[in-house]
Amino acid sequence: MLILTRKLGETIRIGNEIKVTIVEVKGGQIRVGIDAPSDVVVHREEIYEMIREQNIVAAGYSDSSNQDKSLSYLWNRLRNPVKEKAE
Amino acid sequence: MRIIATRFGDITIDKSKIIRMKGGILGFEHLKSYVLFMQDKEIPFWWFQSLENGSIAFVVINSFVANPDYEPLIPDNESRLLEISSPEDVTLLSIITINSDPFRVTANMRAPIVVNAKKMLAKQVVLNEPDYPVQYFITDSKAIFENRECEIVEILPSLQAL
Repeated sequence: MLILTRKLGETIRIGNEIKVTIVEVKGGQIRVGIDAPSDVVVHREEIYEMIREQNIVAAGYSDSSNQDKSLSYLWNRLRNPVKEKAE
Repeated sequence: MRIIATRFGDITIDKSKIIRMKGGILGFEHLKSYVLFMQDKEIPFWWFQSLENGSIAFVVINSFVANPDYEPLIPDNESRLLEISSPEDVTLLSIITINSDPFRVTANMRAPIVVNAKKMLAKQVVLNEPDYPVQYFITDSKAIFENRECEIVEILPSLQAL
């Protein structure tokens, strides 16, 4: 991993088209400005983490040890909702 | 033809039905080929079955069936990667998550599996549109009980027809 030190207002360039600028440093937080072509996807890492975790939970349903967990079970359960106990 | 062992038993798959992942499903990046099939044509959920690991299969739904108002913008670079030349080539699948206690069924609208059904290429694309939730309660949509119009039958064999 490349590690660079930057001051407030300074910029890093990634390739020819992407610029990352340190906009504000306050307490433990740093605001960065990102200039990138519209087809470059920029997300916070957390969204990837959230989706990864969701995928792992989703894949658990296909676990063959759960015999009742079929699509028809799921479909019937959705069409005929059982009243869940209020929390 | 390939034969794989799954929870559905041994499946024989015609090569033309194999969907290749350009970048995998997040958390499952090592799995590069899948097959999409229906188990029961009355049910709007399908299986997205890994060919490399028979025990991995995702329950998916056509994203437009989960939410008929869905209008995601697929970034240009992702369209290029998937060699998409026409919107008709595209099928969007949302991965379904089932929690048993309490019973909750959600569809991932933020990161659909974008399938180029013509080229049989796919990728889970994280959209730039934060309004689409990772956990969309599909019971909020009446459409799943009614609408079957947007099923793409060519890429959707039944289990027996694989």
